[in-house]
This record gives sequence, structure tokens and C-alpha cells, in this order.
Amino acid sequence: MRSRAVMTGLALAVLVASPSALAESRPDAVETCLGCHGIKGYKNVYPTYHVPKLGGQHAQYITDALRAYASGDRPHGTMHANAATLSEDEIQAIAAWFEEQGR
Amino acid sequence: MSRSRTVFMSAFAAAALLAAGAAGAGNPELGRAKSAPCAACHGQDGLGTAPNFPVLAGQYADYLVHALKQYRSGERENALMAPWVSDLSDADIADLAAYYSSLKGLQVPKR
Repeated sequence: MRSRAVMTGLALAVLVASPSALAESRPDAVETCLGCHGIKGYKNVYPTYHVPKLGGQHAQYITDALRAYASGDRPHGTMHANAATLSEDEIQAIAAWFEEQGR
Repeated sequence: MSRSRTVFMSAFAAAALLAAGAAGAGNPELGRAKSAPCAACHGQDGLGTAPNFPVLAGQYADYLVHALKQYRSGERENALMAPWVSDLSDADIADLAAYYSSLKGLQVPKR
């Protein structure tokens, strides 16, 4: 009974700790993304439009987008070059990090 | 302020508004009315009703215009989006982009 209480306490502690731990640790792979997606008002050229905001975007949508850029299904030179070098783990980490921002 | 100056300033303001319209600035109120079909997946609040449907709320309007035009031209192939965008005019696209861009949502993450 006592050990059960300890286990419950431990589980609660993990639950409480994990969101902040996720928010604090920025994956290395995100650094490259922030060169464009981390600058307010930054613009793509030819054609000219703002580089999209990703803070608070659904992680699933971001992973779908990165895979589509990597395969070439979604056309964009710079995004293809960046996405094609990412591992599946990096894609997941990037997507989770952006989703966490702006929430 | 003299009367002629008032007239001049009003004319200038009107010209600026016309120029903004010509540059494709959409009307968020019209966009809201046109967004009913979009809401089924993207939500009336633009937050997306499922994880694979992107959040549109707060996105840059010119990016949304770019994305919609890519879907419309087929440059960006997407079986879900294609049927919804094929009949949109440039004005429809500008209005929808202005509407979703006006909602509270996406952020630029702090570095």
C-alpha cells in the first residue's frame, strides 16, 4: 500500500515536471529553423511573402510538411535542402518544439 | 485646417485605400463569411479541428495567400485542399487570408 502511494507520487511528479522540461530543452535541429522562422517579419523572396509562423502549430502538420518538403512533393528549394537532411527523430523533435511555443 | 487641405487629405486617404485594395489586401469581414466551408477542418477559430489540419489563426496573410494560390494552381498537390480552392477568385483568397490572419493563434517563437 505504501509503495503504491510512492509510485503514484512519482508518476505525478513526472507528469508535473515533463511539460516544463520539454519547453526548456530546445532541440539542436531547431536552431537552423529559427534562422528564418524565429525572426518576426522575415520574408521569403521570389516570390515575396512572410516566412510562416510555426509557434503553436500542430506537430502532426509540421511533420507532414517536413516529409513533403524532403520528398519534393511540396516544392520549396530551401525547405527541401533543409528537410532532406533531417532524421525522423529530428523531424519529431522539431515538430514537438514548435507546437509547444505560443501555447 | 483649411478646407482645401481637408479635401486634399481625404483624397490622399482614399487613394491610399485604393492602392491597398489593388495590392490585394483582403477584407476580414468578407473572409469570415466565406470561411464557412473551411471551418469544417480548420475551425471557425482557425485552430484546426485535428492534428493534421494546420492552425491558420494568426498566420501571416501573405503566406496564406501564397499557400492558397499554390493549392489552386496545383503546384502544391493536396487531394483534400484541391476541391475547395479551385473556384476561389484572387479576391476570395485575399479575404480568407485577411480573416484567418486577424484571429489570435500562431506566434513567432522567441530565439
